[in-house]
Order: sequence, then structure tokens, then C-alpha cells
Amino acid sequence: MSTGTVEVRLAALLHSYTRGARVVHAPGATLGEVFDALDERYPGIRFRIVDEQDRMRRHVRVFVNGADARDLATPLADGDKLYIVGALSGG
Amino acid sequence: MNRDFTEAELHRYARHIILPEIGGEGQAKLRAAKVLVIGAGGLGTPLLQYLGAAGVGTLGVVDHDTVALSNLQRQVIHRTADVGAAKVESARRALGEINPEVRVVAHQARLTPENALALVSDYDIVADGSDNFATRYLLTDACYFAQKTLVAAAILRFEAQLSTYKPHLGPPHPCYRCVFPEPPPPESVPSCAQAGVLGAMAGTMGAWQATEVVKEILGVGESLSGKLLLYDALDARVERLAITRRPDCPLCGAQPAITSLDSPLAQASYAEVYCGD
Repeated sequence: MSTGTVEVRLAALLHSYTRGARVVHAPGATLGEVFDALDERYPGIRFRIVDEQDRMRRHVRVFVNGADARDLATPLADGDKLYIVGALSGG
Repeated sequence: MNRDFTEAELHRYARHIILPEIGGEGQAKLRAAKVLVIGAGGLGTPLLQYLGAAGVGTLGVVDHDTVALSNLQRQVIHRTADVGAAKVESARRALGEINPEVRVVAHQARLTPENALALVSDYDIVADGSDNFATRYLLTDACYFAQKTLVAAAILRFEAQLSTYKPHLGPPHPCYRCVFPEPPPPESVPSCAQAGVLGAMAGTMGAWQATEVVKEILGVGESLSGKLLLYDALDARVERLAITRRPDCPLCGAQPAITSLDSPLAQASYAEVYCGD
């Protein structure tokens, strides 16, 4: 099975890693693979989403096609849309 | 509930009363409602304007701060002449001019673990327009323990988030900690003072928050509970994402680590002050 490409929309907390890009594309059959692919292109970005124990950070949420995903093994299909959201506090 | 309106009230609220979803019954619900707004800032000021104009009978305003010149780019009820005045007093003056029928209760104080439960308990619904994570987590916990619905918005730069939390009603309603169990490390998220915020977007979100508060009071439409609304002003894009209740949530989960505002995990969330101005 060939690996698909997903669209990743990034919250502002990650824009410094992507040189300002708010939407990027990455290959991967699982969330973990997509984060690895993103990290190759944008070094350091994975560590902002995933901690040393390979768990999603508790102030970051990842949504796949609008649904909350909490496991790096979450399977992805070609064309899936990811949202990486960080908590905001401003008012 | 008193459903009698004066002639002046019937005129003032005519565009509400004519809506089948509101009517006289709904307008009476708004008049009887008590809403607590945390922060008279970028979100809080448009929120207060619309709730006051809508005829919400009692509006509590919590803010310890005074009006600064750098607030005026977005905090629309404060005027240049109000610089230096307490924000809650400036808000009271503005609301009195918009709608003298509304009772405004000014709480010139920070929300603290000592006063949060008592403050929240005096109101029916709470709206969070605060500017720091410590207050957001404290309010989340206090509203859960006091069994109050919380309508929370947050903004930074050109991005905004909005949701309604009522975890006290049980599953499937999530709380803020189901989405973000703990605040981020302080250095990882800048404040509005450090990173900036688009003034008009604060207005968009404050008005949107007012809409959700009014819906909750009236019990009309679809609640934002279980949905996280994201607004990207640069892309003019809105997303509505599904958020779920976590069985392992530290607050509303099966075996919560936070059982009171004094719990160590709760206290750790309130310790950090991130953002001012």
C-alpha cells in the first residue's frame, strides 16, 4: 500500500518552525509518520507536539478530519486533513 | 419569572421579541439571567456591550486592572478619557449608557482560588474573556465544582478559539481540561502584549461569545458544548472540531486528580501568570 499525503493546518504556535506557513503537506500512513516527516523538513517541530515518551503533549490537540486523535498510531488516508491546535490564553 | 414589560422595554427589545426563538418569554429569561464576565478587555468589552444591549438583567464584571492607552485599540467600551480608571468602573459607566435597565456588579479583583467559587456561584452562566492560563484553569475548575456553564473564548494574533463547557451535566459534555489537561510551559506561548492581537478579531469573538451566552440562557439552537470553534482571521476561515470527554480527565474523569481548588494539580495550573495588558 502506498503512503498517502495529508494536509496539515498548523496553529500559530508552530509557525516559527514552518517559516510562517500555516498549511503544509506531508506523507505518512499514521499520525506518527506524518510528525516524523514534518520533523525532517522542519527540525524541532515534532518535539512541540510529542513528548519524550512519544505521547501527545497535554496542551496540544490533533484533529483528523475534525475528530480528536490522541494516538500516534492513528491511521491516515491520502487527502486526510489534520489540524494541530495549541491552547490560547489571550483575551 | 416576571413576564411583564414596560412600554420602553417592549420598544428596546422589539427586534428580539419578534424572533420566534426569543419572544416575550425569551426576553424575560434574558432579564432574569445573571451572567459573570471575567475580564473587561478585548473579549470582555464587546461581550458586555452585547449582553447589556440584549437586556441580560445582571452582569457581573471581574477585572483587577485599570485602563491603559494600549488597551484602546480593541477594548471598545473604554475611552481615552478612561485611561487610568478601573476597568470595571469604566465598564459600569459604559453599560449604564447603553442600557440603564441592566444591573452591573463590578468586582474589582483578580479571580483567585480564594474568591472563585463564591463569585461564580452567584451567577447562572460564566463567560471567560481572561488573558492568562492561570485564570482559565481556575475558572474551568470553579465552574465545574459550582455546576455552572462556561462559555470561553481565547485570542492571539489572528487566531481565536471558542467553546462552551458544561461537564457538570455528565457525559458526553467535555471540560476545558478534557481538551487541554494542563497549561503549556510558560515560555512556549506568548501573551497578547508580546505577540499582538488584531483588535477587530477580539470584537468578532466577543460578539460570538455573547451569541453563545444568549443561546445558553434561552436554550435555543445547537450548543457549542463538545465543539471547539477555531477562527483564523487571516484566512477568513472557521473550523468546528469535535472535542470529547476524556475518561482520564484530571477534573471530570472517572478518577479525577482535582477534587477541589486546593488539589496540588489544580494549584500548579493556577501558579503561572502569563500575560498582562
